[in-house]
Amino acid sequence: MNKTRWILFWALLLAMVVLELVGSGGGGWTLIPAFYSLFGFVLCVGLIYLAKFIGKNFIDRDLNYYDN
Amino acid sequence: MIIDFLAIPGLILIAGGLILPALPERLRGWLSLIFPAGALAVIFALPEGYTVHAVLAGMDLQPMAMNKLSRFFGISFAIAAVIGLVYAIHVRDLIKQSATLVYAGSTIGVTFAGDFFSLFAFWEIMAVSSTVLVWTNRTSQADKAGMRYLIYHIFGGGLLFAGILLHYAETGSLLVVSFSQVYTPASVLILLGVAVNAAVVPLHAWLPDAYPNATVTGAVFMSAFTTKAAVYLLLRVFPGWEILVWFGCAMAVYGVLYAIICKDIREILSYHIISQVGFMVVGAGIGTELAINGAAAHAFNNILYKGLMFMATGAVLYKTGTTKVAYLGGLAARMPLVMVLYMVGGLSISGFPLFNGFISKSILVGATGYAHYHVAAYILLLASVGTFLSVGLKLPFMTWFDKEHSLMVLKKLPVNMYAGMALAAFLCVFYGVVPPALYAYLPYPVDYNPFTVYDITKTMQINLMTFAAFWVFCHKFHGELIIALDLDWFYRKPSWFFRKVFVTYVSLAFGMVEKLAYSAVGGLRRASRNPMKWLNPITGYRHKAWSYSPSYGVVLGLILVLYVIMELFVIS
Repeated sequence: MNKTRWILFWALLLAMVVLELVGSGGGGWTLIPAFYSLFGFVLCVGLIYLAKFIGKNFIDRDLNYYDN
Repeated sequence: MIIDFLAIPGLILIAGGLILPALPERLRGWLSLIFPAGALAVIFALPEGYTVHAVLAGMDLQPMAMNKLSRFFGISFAIAAVIGLVYAIHVRDLIKQSATLVYAGSTIGVTFAGDFFSLFAFWEIMAVSSTVLVWTNRTSQADKAGMRYLIYHIFGGGLLFAGILLHYAETGSLLVVSFSQVYTPASVLILLGVAVNAAVVPLHAWLPDAYPNATVTGAVFMSAFTTKAAVYLLLRVFPGWEILVWFGCAMAVYGVLYAIICKDIREILSYHIISQVGFMVVGAGIGTELAINGAAAHAFNNILYKGLMFMATGAVLYKTGTTKVAYLGGLAARMPLVMVLYMVGGLSISGFPLFNGFISKSILVGATGYAHYHVAAYILLLASVGTFLSVGLKLPFMTWFDKEHSLMVLKKLPVNMYAGMALAAFLCVFYGVVPPALYAYLPYPVDYNPFTVYDITKTMQINLMTFAAFWVFCHKFHGELIIALDLDWFYRKPSWFFRKVFVTYVSLAFGMVEKLAYSAVGGLRRASRNPMKWLNPITGYRHKAWSYSPSYGVVLGLILVLYVIMELFVIS
């Protein structure tokens, strides 16, 4: 991803955060500015780590695990 | 009579499947499109409240009953059948083509069934015809997976049937109606039977077992039909059953976690079906008009974009011969069109505005919020993050963008496969841009505008930052050759034991008894060859049957005659 695309990305994200303040909806925690951006980022990282943990320790098995 | 028969759209397709062998082989793919088109026309033409009555063995049946919900789902399934059959025009295997038509027909039959008996008949036909779609893949893995799938579905059908019988005994009526939220044995059994087909966790293990082993074209149909027909039943029979909200949330997260873990592109999509159906089950559980509308709209959109993604990954399978992420990668330049079409589906499922996922997801999450299930709403948002991560980012990255993991010769893709994908992609964008075209057919009146500033900014923020997080951590995703353990461990691991006890030992026992019987008969034969040996044991005389005087024969004959007379006349 080259520089221009990253600039576009951050511009779009900024536009969305600003627009959210214009729109109405939600309450409580969601009133923090850029709440959903943080939500998305944190949860995504959390899901990646959780999936790796569960996968390595409980779920991944060799292809011939069920052959008997 | 013929008019009545033709008014049951499911039967049109099933008849098509049976007529197909009579059609010329080269035209079968094209001609099979007539049947879902005809069914679609019938569904549009029939008025609201139209029913077909039948009487069978004293039971009042309604094989066909039209109402807004069944019309909506019927249209969805018919469109799915058209798209899938366009994708499958190139198939030259009669059994695959027939089974596909029968499968589509029985699903539409389930949708329009007005009584539980017809519903159950179509339900079982669905199970069998979809198993054929797995078995015709003709690999040893597909053979076994298909058998497990069949047994699981017969088990589910058994639960459903038990529930139907109890329900009939209790109420005396077979009509399909909404059940009030009372946990009687009948309603619980029917719920469990439907839950098997809806892949409700923990009854879901058959889905990621069978779908990756289905044929390239068969998987598209399977993804569209079985689970969504079960969702229709949940919306029809169990709306507002609160337990469904929590099971739906569990499904949404469970499916998405496994989708992030799995390393086979069709298995990722299969687990993701569980997640998306979880959304619909939550909608059914909430039971408000908005929620049911949302769940129905989500089902239709799911059929479109999930079908599109299964078509694209099927195209990858067709071109490269594998769906294992460990072997794929770096294929973007070599199959750009498939990738772009896949991304239309990927962006739709992630709920980007101007694609159709956005218009239904926002209704569902909104309905969850309005009904004050705030925890459930956040869980669904979590599932949305995982959705974009697993099938919108991880899958295309590892298939098309990451470095190339093996040198592959790509087969050329038949044009009709591109056409099927393009059709689905077009509809995804069309409904994303013109939501009222979809909203007009929803069961309840809609005055919902999905394009609110708040919803758009919310979705875009979540998705953009999910992308950023993926970008930072994308090196953590490796392709490995693994089996993902799931709850099917419980019946697959001990299977050697059950085979030993119920098959090997039983046939050993039969063999032993058979041997014993034969040896007994043999011994008896040897003993009775020369009866004089037993009657005259005293002398060392070598008994030969012809050496005895006639008097012996007379005496023996007299004894036999007396015995016969006794049998005939004295003992009555």
